[in-house]
Amino acid sequence: MSLKPTIGIETHIELNTNTKMFCRCAVVDTDEPNISLCPTCIGLPGALPVPNKKAIEFITLLALSTGCEITSKGMFHRKNYFYPDLPKNYQISQFDLPVGLNGELEIVIDENKDYIQIERVHMEEDTGKSSHSGSGRIESATSTALDFNRSGVPLVEIVTKPVISSSKQAVAYIEELRQLSIDLNISEGRLEKGNLRFDANISVASEDSTELGTKVEIKNMNSLRSLERAIDYEIERQTKALEEGIEIVQETRHWDENKEITSTMRSKEGSADYRYFSDPDLPNMFLSEEFIKEVETLMPLLPKAQREELMTTGLSLSQSNILSKSDEWIKKLYVKVFDQTKDSVASYNWITGELQGQMRKANIEVLPEWFNDDYLPEIIELIKSDKISFTSAKIILTEILTTNTTPSKVAEQKNLFQENDSEKISEMINQIIQENQDIVDRIKSGEDKLVGFLVGQLMKQSNGSVNPGMAKELLLKELED
Amino acid sequence: MDASNLSIREINSLFTKKELKPSELYSKVFENSANSEAALHAHLTLFEEENIKKAAESDKRFSNGESAGLLDGIPIAIKDNINIKNYKTTCSSKMLSNYTSPYDATVIEKLKEQNTLFTGKTNLDEFAMGSSTENSAFGLTKNPWNTDYVPGGSSGGSAASVGARSSIAALGSDTGGSIRQPASFCGLVGFKPTYGTVSRFGLVAFASSLDQIGPITKTVDDSRIIFSSISGEDSRDATSVINNQLDIPSDNTATIGVIKELMEDGISDEAKNEVNKVVEILKSKGYKVKEISIPIIKLSISIYYLIAPAECSANLARFDGVRYGLRVDGNTSYEMMENTRAEGFGAEVKRRILLGTYALSAGYYDEYYGKALQARKEMIDEFAKTFKDIDYLISPTTPTQAFKSGEKTSNPLEMYMSDLCTIPANLAGLPAISIPTGLSKDQLPLGVQVMSKPLSDNSLLDFSEIIENEVQFDGQPKGWL
Repeated sequence: MSLKPTIGIETHIELNTNTKMFCRCAVVDTDEPNISLCPTCIGLPGALPVPNKKAIEFITLLALSTGCEITSKGMFHRKNYFYPDLPKNYQISQFDLPVGLNGELEIVIDENKDYIQIERVHMEEDTGKSSHSGSGRIESATSTALDFNRSGVPLVEIVTKPVISSSKQAVAYIEELRQLSIDLNISEGRLEKGNLRFDANISVASEDSTELGTKVEIKNMNSLRSLERAIDYEIERQTKALEEGIEIVQETRHWDENKEITSTMRSKEGSADYRYFSDPDLPNMFLSEEFIKEVETLMPLLPKAQREELMTTGLSLSQSNILSKSDEWIKKLYVKVFDQTKDSVASYNWITGELQGQMRKANIEVLPEWFNDDYLPEIIELIKSDKISFTSAKIILTEILTTNTTPSKVAEQKNLFQENDSEKISEMINQIIQENQDIVDRIKSGEDKLVGFLVGQLMKQSNGSVNPGMAKELLLKELED
Repeated sequence: MDASNLSIREINSLFTKKELKPSELYSKVFENSANSEAALHAHLTLFEEENIKKAAESDKRFSNGESAGLLDGIPIAIKDNINIKNYKTTCSSKMLSNYTSPYDATVIEKLKEQNTLFTGKTNLDEFAMGSSTENSAFGLTKNPWNTDYVPGGSSGGSAASVGARSSIAALGSDTGGSIRQPASFCGLVGFKPTYGTVSRFGLVAFASSLDQIGPITKTVDDSRIIFSSISGEDSRDATSVINNQLDIPSDNTATIGVIKELMEDGISDEAKNEVNKVVEILKSKGYKVKEISIPIIKLSISIYYLIAPAECSANLARFDGVRYGLRVDGNTSYEMMENTRAEGFGAEVKRRILLGTYALSAGYYDEYYGKALQARKEMIDEFAKTFKDIDYLISPTTPTQAFKSGEKTSNPLEMYMSDLCTIPANLAGLPAISIPTGLSKDQLPLGVQVMSKPLSDNSLLDFSEIIENEVQFDGQPKGWL
């Protein structure tokens, strides 16, 4: 029996609005608990919710950018369940009339495009944060501390259809969604801060079955790495169980980051009945055509279009994808460097390889102010015209990252301009041959690999300024004579 | 003439002419409460100390000729489900017996701006659930006309207070008749404005789509003055509307409809007689009066007792002992919440939470809550159709005069029936008023109710004033001054 996995992902994106979803408390990023609260977001008697227009604009942007149909007459519902960090003991959310329905997101895996169907995009409010002491779980905690700073922060939930078939696809989907939310400027998109949180529904069924297997929900995956591992683990667990004839139980499982396994949190039998009903405090959310048109004008170039544009410069799909998911300054720098050099591969390699690599190593987070957009094109040009070697170019880059100078000045000061004059190189070769007569003899008697040693000596003596290609060619010629 | 018997406009005129001082009026009102509270228990708390100070400030303003407001120095009683900053808001529940509000309701802010005095907080049925003010955790309130009888409810404390002149006017809240029914039982005017014209921000919610704050007063003009002071769009209440009043005729060019379904079985002859009396007067003045049938009105109680409990089941979920109010310990968070709610809520509140939870449950929603919403929509449409030909609808306010304390406490259904005539206005969001018109053979007050289309509050008040002037009800409970 051949088995295939089916995965659906629910993602929560915390919007980066200035204020909360239903009150005007500031959204704060702090460890100091309970400093941004009001009667509404801690559920005092008599307090009422008023929707944040910016948040509605943001979710509409996201729904439009994922190709969703917009529900013009949307509605807020109350989702009822008791939990100490949910102040009203109901969450204002959306039910059958979410902002967006039936969308699609293009993802990229290596050199291939794929499309993930989106079921719905809806608006809700976040809960507070509980810290259970004595144990990590509320049922066995000796006490629970509550922080309501996060209570009422706007959240968008995006639910895919059950169309994902591997952990690789799942990771690519989250990467794409994360970049989309950053480019739309609706979220910081920082996973480590919980700006983006995801749960996966995983089932396994026989390859030729038209029905899905029993669904298991996986929670507590805090990084892309844990998403990948948890999915792989769960697919393997379910596959093995089915092969051994063990039935899969519908349940919620917890991903244990340390043990790298999933374990039962709660079975669906005891699952809550949320008793959704439309929130009488919030009149229908009417998104007029005018409003939607206005939001459309705010739409930036989306990652998908960015990739297409980058590919026209000559980059491959995967290169374009990596650039589209890079920081904004990198994308901009690529465009500028490419515009000057018209060499997509060199521009891409120098930026995503050498530049970012050196910055990471030297712990430099932003390019220094003096770092001119012309520097990389200049370096690329110097290499192309054989004026400097690739090794010298790396030295130059290191220098201009730390010192306010220019590539050509560094080349001059450090004497990095390449010697391309064959006569001068021949002179130096002759000297090297004289100084290393024993080596020359050995080469002549058949030890070919020692040619490299002589080239190395030549480079050393010239402080690397000799064009290594030319040097080798001339040396071989000299040795033959 | 006793100043506490006067209307707001009369009192203001005496203040302005310096024939009466606000502090003298307050002394009189306070004296009335000293005479009546032990017998009636209208107030839960009295704000004497603060009022002596505030009245002295009013004195100064009037003596300097600085005051412009009609409500300056007028002592108004506030139902104890409306938040006043730094005072307890108990909702007559053990759950909130120790709860002090950190903020003012919008209506309180507005009255404070006018330098109104607040006599104190008045008793109510717990969380405004009841029709007799017998469901209070802090003892029942008696009818000032005859202490064997209930004052009605849930704003029974507010009505009893105005009746005994321990306040000049009062604020109540009306979800299914909670202003109009006690006003009628106590021989007063009770006005429930169009849904949304008065902000609900700061009113502890019972059923959000039905709740509305309004005045209980001695005269229609007093209600008009208070309504114009507390109404207006509020950015903190998403259901509040711009108070754009429709002008409909109040003179004898207006057409009056007598609701057939509210003049049938279940309505006492005495109650019907009051309607007939008013109809005869109107006819004699040249008004056109028709009998109107709105059959769906017969379903009012069924619709109401699905919608109101459903909303309250979510609205009251926040009372869990976690953040404020009563907390009864338990071994886990959930046990603590359960114990708190078991001990904090009274029987009627629990009954309605259970009813509402059931009506919203999976598998029952469509059958109960969903159907009730549909029927409510139909009722709104029926009223809209009726108001095409009819300007004002007239009916009894209550099926009978006030009943005796304890008479209906063991039979909730019979208690619910006492709101038969008042509930439709809440379901349809209409403005509705109860006007005192006469006394029963037991010497208890009776009233008629008039309703009109949404946002015609001012016209409704004008029309009601005409009835008030024609009927000349000047009855007043004896023994409290």
